[in-house]
Amino acid sequence: MIKLNQIAKHYPAGFGKVYVLRQIDLTIQEGEFVSIMGPSGSGKSTLLHILGLLEEPSEGEYRFLDEPVQKLSEKKRTELHRHHIGFVFQAYHLIDELTVYENIETPLLYKGVSGSERKSRVAELLDRFNMVAKKDLFPSQLSGGQQQLVGVARALVHQPKVIFADEPTGNLHSEQADEIMELFQKLNKEDKVTIVQVTHSEKNATYGTRTIRLKDGWMA
Amino acid sequence: MIQNYLKIAFRNLLRNKVYTFIHVLGLGLGISAFVFILEYVSLEKSVNQFHTNVDRMYRLVNVATDGASWGEVEPGWAALAKERFPEIEDYCRFADGIASGVMQKAEGGESFKEESIGYVEGNFFEFFTFPLLKGSAEALKQPNVIFLSESTAAKYFGKTEAPGKTLLLHNQFGKTTFTVGGIYKDMTDLSDIRYDMVLSLETLKSPANTNGNDWVRLDNLDNQYINAFFLVREQANYQELEAKFNTLRNELSQENDGIVFRLQAATNIHLAPSLNDPLLTTGNVKYVYMLAGIALLILLIAWFNYINLSTANALKRANEVGVRKVIGATQAHLIGQFLGESLLTNGLGFCFALMLVGTLQPLFAELIGKQVSLQILGNTPFWMYGLGLLLAGSVLSGLYSAWILSRFKVIETLKGKRTSNSRGIWLRKGLVVGQFVISTSLILATIVIYSQLRHLQTGELGINTEQLLVVSGPQIGKDSTFATRSNAFVQTLAEQSFVQEYATSNVVPSRYYNFRTSGFTQPGSKPKDELKSYAFAVIGDRYLKTYGISIKAGRNFTPQETDVEWNNNSKVMLNERAVAELGFSSPEEAIQTKIKWDERYLEVIGVVADYHHTSLKNSIDPIIFYPQKSAVYYSIRLTPEGMGDKVAKLEKLYKTSFPGNPFDFFFMDENYQKAYYEEQQYGKLFTTASLLAVFIACLGLFGLATYTVESRTKEIGVRKVLGASVSSVVMLLSKDFLALVGVAILIASPVAAYFLNQWLQDFPYRIAMEWWIFVAAAGLALLIAFVTVGFQSVKAGLMNPVDSLRSE
Repeated sequence: MIKLNQIAKHYPAGFGKVYVLRQIDLTIQEGEFVSIMGPSGSGKSTLLHILGLLEEPSEGEYRFLDEPVQKLSEKKRTELHRHHIGFVFQAYHLIDELTVYENIETPLLYKGVSGSERKSRVAELLDRFNMVAKKDLFPSQLSGGQQQLVGVARALVHQPKVIFADEPTGNLHSEQADEIMELFQKLNKEDKVTIVQVTHSEKNATYGTRTIRLKDGWMA
Repeated sequence: MIQNYLKIAFRNLLRNKVYTFIHVLGLGLGISAFVFILEYVSLEKSVNQFHTNVDRMYRLVNVATDGASWGEVEPGWAALAKERFPEIEDYCRFADGIASGVMQKAEGGESFKEESIGYVEGNFFEFFTFPLLKGSAEALKQPNVIFLSESTAAKYFGKTEAPGKTLLLHNQFGKTTFTVGGIYKDMTDLSDIRYDMVLSLETLKSPANTNGNDWVRLDNLDNQYINAFFLVREQANYQELEAKFNTLRNELSQENDGIVFRLQAATNIHLAPSLNDPLLTTGNVKYVYMLAGIALLILLIAWFNYINLSTANALKRANEVGVRKVIGATQAHLIGQFLGESLLTNGLGFCFALMLVGTLQPLFAELIGKQVSLQILGNTPFWMYGLGLLLAGSVLSGLYSAWILSRFKVIETLKGKRTSNSRGIWLRKGLVVGQFVISTSLILATIVIYSQLRHLQTGELGINTEQLLVVSGPQIGKDSTFATRSNAFVQTLAEQSFVQEYATSNVVPSRYYNFRTSGFTQPGSKPKDELKSYAFAVIGDRYLKTYGISIKAGRNFTPQETDVEWNNNSKVMLNERAVAELGFSSPEEAIQTKIKWDERYLEVIGVVADYHHTSLKNSIDPIIFYPQKSAVYYSIRLTPEGMGDKVAKLEKLYKTSFPGNPFDFFFMDENYQKAYYEEQQYGKLFTTASLLAVFIACLGLFGLATYTVESRTKEIGVRKVLGASVSSVVMLLSKDFLALVGVAILIASPVAAYFLNQWLQDFPYRIAMEWWIFVAAAGLALLIAFVTVGFQSVKAGLMNPVDSLRSE
């Protein structure tokens, strides 16, 4: 499903350039739950952003669903985001002006899903995450864990093939963190959603099926 | 989707109350100024256009060699033209000015001075589209018939039936009886022809009704006093017709004065079709363009506010943009969303503007001195252009902000990088500069206009206007005993202890001359000198003394000389300009010379010092003074104390001497001020416009300052922890803004100075654009900006750094 071939990322610095990632070869099959680990500055977030088509690699080839995607127009990229990719962020990144319900519904709006189907999908997710009572609250009225639950629900609502999670539990205390990780594991096992997460925590990595370690931009 | 956008838009407006308030208030004020001015433009554009045949109507206009034009022509041309030129279907003539006098209900009854009155052609109500309420239009074809406007009829006859009643008019043509033939709807601001009453022109055909005024004969080709309108057949070429008129003139007219005929389309009589059209108009197209320009500038300031604040605020929403993009929004989605928000804000501004327009309508009508209303917008298609412009402006300002917002790079916004969009910053700075260029220019204009107005109002006229009151001479009872009674009245005046000076005359300063005429030469004249035009003022022997006008050479008229009959008089006086114009090298040289006026010789007995007869708006005309003991005006200088009491006493004396006449008087200094009405209007208008512009620009500045303080909270906190004082924080935050205002002042000063200088060129007596004007305007702009920004800066300076640092 995902295949990286000699991917590198560098930024110009002074007269030369600074490498953040070097010669990454990586294949992720559908249904995997991969954790990317490594110390601060090792390039794991950059790798996730490249995988999630938020950043373009400087060198190498990236095939997503068997298509080369390292140079895509913004429109094509949006297409892929709409249909196949879900994101979960450390800082949740919910839209403050929208209620829980509306936050979850928004990806479907952009995808052009009909009203009745939107209703049933959002309702289903609210029910599954036990958030029906909170559907009309705004993000600022929720705890961090609950906000991240909404974040996950939003990432799932358009039924993506893969979810990219950037330290999804980084802002949460351990109890909430475990809850989110268990949810990820369940999604991976029962719903066959591919998950790629960046994490600092060894414990979180154990929920996954495979761990990739990065150091100074190299894969260990 | 739209629902989702609207929801977000509303929630955002509610969340950012300060910004919403600024936008709605600024746009509301801008749009209401725009709507008001649109009303005014519509009014001006629709004047005279309601006549059914307006497209085929032309006015005959005289144009002199110097380009001056006037609508009064000799009355004889109209009939001749209709007879000879097949293009002409019909004509209609009317004369104002010559008709004014005192109207009396019945012999010995109540009387009113009437100025808004004209002699009109019998077909007046068929030619023009003025609806008749009572009577038949045909009636006006008879002599001694009068038609009244609805409100004038009410003034004279109350609720009783006016048609059939008679009125007595006392004017220069003596006492004439008129029978009311009909009543017409009051003529409004939408017409340049506005009479309270019209008299049948046919009346003047009978010599019995003209009191020996031979010049008024309706077939004469010598005296220009009447307006002549022609209805031209369809498909006629008016330029060819114009040429025919001039051929006719050359064939029949005795005078060789270089004056030519032009035909002016009736549609262009109020507003010229372009700025450089030379023909005389009743409205002022320059003024209309200028107002429209100001409206647009104010609206522009409001839209600049929108762009500035929404793009500044964009950084706050960058995260939202990033998230939306990640979950599948395209740039088009985002532009749609932000455009929706801007349209919503503009819509709210529009609603607020409509409320303002409704409330402030009477104030605006007073400001411009015209009857305007929202309904007037329907008269012309301008409201559509206006609405289109409002929509275009809203869309463009919204679109720009939306485009800036939607362009944010996902990864940067999500990483929390503040994409310091450098182009955006320059644009914001540019727009702030633009706003203050407009505001400062308007402030400058206001100062210059008021300085010039003051200069005119307080300038040296060359005469003494203090305590000087002018009473119009009587019109009723001008029989054989009148001269004796007038003399007796003057004698009574002389006996009053509160009368310092008194004079009779045919003209008074601040009103126009008797007439202008050419044909004067002196023995040493050069060829063509006879074409020069002179003002003619008929005065009594006490005129110069009463007005404090000094005699430069020679002597004043004696009382005996004012008694000599018009045609037998052989003495004149000149002012210094006339002396120079005639080609004398000094006043002394002119004395005792006989100057020639057409066929007559007149001896110059004295030269008077130049004074401003009309107003300081015009340069001093060459004037020829002619002696007559006529009593069109009594000029009276009163002793200073207890004015009201003395006026009452005067009225009593006047009414005793001239029973039945209205006591119509004015104060000389007040009458001079009337000449500056237009400048006063400009002054008020520019004051209002600059207040509005400055206020809206400051709203925007306030918003930007708020934003700056918000985004620099942490920096200010750190600086305060490191020991920065409140004043240094205020300076830190204010100096950038003040620099922008400074740049604006540098741009505005020369630009405004250029246009204001152009305006000042119209005045022969004008102020110089002195340095203090610019300093004052600059100081004012800077002060206002500093106060606006300072409020937020001081708040930031006083903030406890612990709070600002903790919140991060």
